[in-house]
Amino acid sequence: MRKNYGPIYVGPVAFWLCAFLSVPLLITLSYSFLAKGLYGGVEPHFSLAAYRSLFNTAVLKVLLNTIIIAVLSTALMVGLALPTAYYIARSSQKNLLLMLIIIPFWTNFLIRIYAWITILGSNGLLNSFLMGVGLTDGPIQFLYNRGAIILVIVYTTIPFAIFPLYSTIEKFDFSLIEAAMDLGASKTKALWKIMIPNIRSGITTAVLFTFIPTFGNFAVPKLVGGTSSWMLGNLIERELNITRNWPLASSMSVVLTFVTMLAVLFFMRSQNKKEL
Amino acid sequence: MSKPGKFSFGVFVFVTLFLHIPLAILVISSFNSSKSMRWEGFSLKWYHELFYNSGPLWHSFWNSIIVAISSSVVATVIGTLGAIGLCWYSFRMKKAIQTLTFFPVILPEIIIGVSILIFFNKIGLSLSLFTIFLAHVTFNIPFVLMTVMARLEEFDFSIVEAAYDLGATEIDMLLRVILPISMPGIIAGLLLAITLSLEDFVITFFVAGPGSSTLPLHIFSMIRFGVSPTINALSVVIIVGTALLALSSKNLYSSLLKR
Amino acid sequence: MLLAAAIVSMVVSGCSEGEKEKPTEQKVVQKPQQQETAQTLYIYNWTYYIPNQVLKDFEKEYNVKVVYDMYSSNEEMFTKLKAGGSGYDLVFPSGDYVSIMIKENMLEPIDKTKIPNFSNIDPEVLAKIHFDEGSQYSVPYMMGAAGVAVNTKFVKDFDKSWSIFNRDDLKGRMTMLDDMREVLGAALKSLGYSVNTKSLEELQKAKELVKQWKKNIVKFDAESFGKGFAAGEFWVVQGYQENIFLELDEAAKQDVAFFIPKEGSAMYMDNMVLLKTAKNKDLAYTFMNYIHEPKVFAQIADFLMLPSINVPARDLMKVKPNYEIADLARSEFKEDLGESLKDYNQIWQEIIVGE
Repeated sequence: MRKNYGPIYVGPVAFWLCAFLSVPLLITLSYSFLAKGLYGGVEPHFSLAAYRSLFNTAVLKVLLNTIIIAVLSTALMVGLALPTAYYIARSSQKNLLLMLIIIPFWTNFLIRIYAWITILGSNGLLNSFLMGVGLTDGPIQFLYNRGAIILVIVYTTIPFAIFPLYSTIEKFDFSLIEAAMDLGASKTKALWKIMIPNIRSGITTAVLFTFIPTFGNFAVPKLVGGTSSWMLGNLIERELNITRNWPLASSMSVVLTFVTMLAVLFFMRSQNKKEL
Repeated sequence: MSKPGKFSFGVFVFVTLFLHIPLAILVISSFNSSKSMRWEGFSLKWYHELFYNSGPLWHSFWNSIIVAISSSVVATVIGTLGAIGLCWYSFRMKKAIQTLTFFPVILPEIIIGVSILIFFNKIGLSLSLFTIFLAHVTFNIPFVLMTVMARLEEFDFSIVEAAYDLGATEIDMLLRVILPISMPGIIAGLLLAITLSLEDFVITFFVAGPGSSTLPLHIFSMIRFGVSPTINALSVVIIVGTALLALSSKNLYSSLLKR
Repeated sequence: MLLAAAIVSMVVSGCSEGEKEKPTEQKVVQKPQQQETAQTLYIYNWTYYIPNQVLKDFEKEYNVKVVYDMYSSNEEMFTKLKAGGSGYDLVFPSGDYVSIMIKENMLEPIDKTKIPNFSNIDPEVLAKIHFDEGSQYSVPYMMGAAGVAVNTKFVKDFDKSWSIFNRDDLKGRMTMLDDMREVLGAALKSLGYSVNTKSLEELQKAKELVKQWKKNIVKFDAESFGKGFAAGEFWVVQGYQENIFLELDEAAKQDVAFFIPKEGSAMYMDNMVLLKTAKNKDLAYTFMNYIHEPKVFAQIADFLMLPSINVPARDLMKVKPNYEIADLARSEFKEDLGESLKDYNQIWQEIIVGE
């Protein structure tokens, strides 16, 4: 029996991720149970104050807003991505069409947000157009609200829904659809009843890949959100950088991690079900 | 074979236009001589501004390059070794390590940013390019690991067994068998890591220190504080560069796979 | 496996950005070379608070390099310093943060013999300083107060008062600073209280007032309101006048009225402080002294359109400041709040994220 070199190969990964991922996460978890210092930082004694302050109405409202935005954007993205991915997978020019989706996606994320700011701003293109054709007298405020956040999140994140859907649809055996149609099913019905169940793993991946980044988003609401569209990510950043209530920032991070883990577990369970 | 219907075609066209039009507008306005969105004539002055008058921007650009290259090389070495170990060996704690590598991919970036900032603060490490480097290696490792593993899984472990039976040592194995066959995966992983590092904003936002702004951070402050349409010109340089390299790297990648 | 598939599909495309900016590389190569020979001064300052030209002149005159990073609130600066530990030499906190930083033992005492130009500072201004009695740790830089800028093209009649934020006909066109002390200070002043009050009752009343204002404003924003104001996006903004006027060209300035509301405002004194961890203390002293050269200070005050606290510089100024020190009569310096900071934070959080 030759020597098992596995641990040697894996050692660096294990060390690095423990040092720079597990330990930081554990410290964050422990900070969430400490009291806050007056000018920031933590006092080394146990306190549940951070968790108690999670239950004030302001924080719960932000949480609710985050959930609404995440659910709506995810639904929009998967809804749009499904027909798009289907069309690409069925086209004879797959690579070219994929490229069309990919190129904007790999343009810097912030530049893509900025592009929408130039369009939706009061002096932006949309308002110039509306005023030009006389649909409105004064500029309309499109930015700084929940709608703008959802729009920009969909814009920046939708490829995460298209790619996994594409790769499952591409593997799907379409002769099944034709068989169903030969048996008298309408095409829509055949697609709905046969293709959708078969690409369920692609759909769950798409949901997961769009829901998680949306739920934890903070750049988009920071740049295009307004007074009533706070998301959890913004609140964490504020507690960390401005208010300097690190225990509260930590407890919110713990909540966010928890939600993510729930989503992942849900995902793994539905994956397993498929295999049964 | 049935053709896709009108509905899916319509949605596809809509999504494609939706993805491209905002960028097209940026391209057009980068040539506008006016500061506002109103067209006041063709001008290259924002490009001139970008190339000759944007010192801090280029400083941050170089920071980005330094971090991207150093962090992706380190992540590629660590990630490749890890992929080999996880793919071809079994040992205690394997499942735990595998789960751990999944974390940076799935956790929202802000969690990694916040916790690593708290960690650096706790151990008293000053924020600088070095802390950005550490954070970038951390989130890059899993991506390299998965890319290399995807490549390794295509190969039969019997090749390795055969090499052992012929008396190869572990070092021989690594250098002559494993690395060559996984090379396309390693290069893809390296390029992916460079990309993710150049692109990262959220995690860097939390761990950047004095004078260590990266290009995305600089773009962020241009959007927040910005006074100048130079950012339009910068966008065009990035869009064009991205498009060109997306096309050429696709060829590079497929030629690597054919080897 | 799906995940891997998705990732690989990203990889195929992903390779791209890695080298995306190759074409421009040659042009930049020349830039960082001077670094090696020159000393570098790391400054952490408010956004656009020193004209670029002054930094360039300083670099040239002393053959050094200046790295200038920006922040948009004292809190942001303080967190970065606390989290980052070191790296910067000179920072420009407002008075209340000077006292906090002294208490937190972050500052190096100032050796005034190394700043001969300190004597140019108006003694009357120095006498008002309580956050650092006798200026042992800080060198005053600029003094002023946040006010209100109004775009008179869209808003014809208005009262020079904080009550402008009560006007719902301007709903969706106004912003206030994302700064707890400034906004609560405005409300406290409107109600006739001190901006440094420690009374919870007064704070609660201020909170109710700010909540009314909040209904009419687009956002609390300390970063891009100047740009938005210049673009015509916002018509009434609370802000520092320099952030607003720097965005405007000469013609547009005609349509702007800036005032310090009659109720008074939370006044600030921004100061240069030397961090304990500074690596380049001598260069920092040179810089502080350079700033208070009358010629240089006049150039900065002109740029910011702020009244000068440097006496000889007053005669050299070419631009009339947007307000005089006398306009600040009803305003108060922000002081460190001590334990009350908790209450302020709590109330502020309820305001910004609440309904």
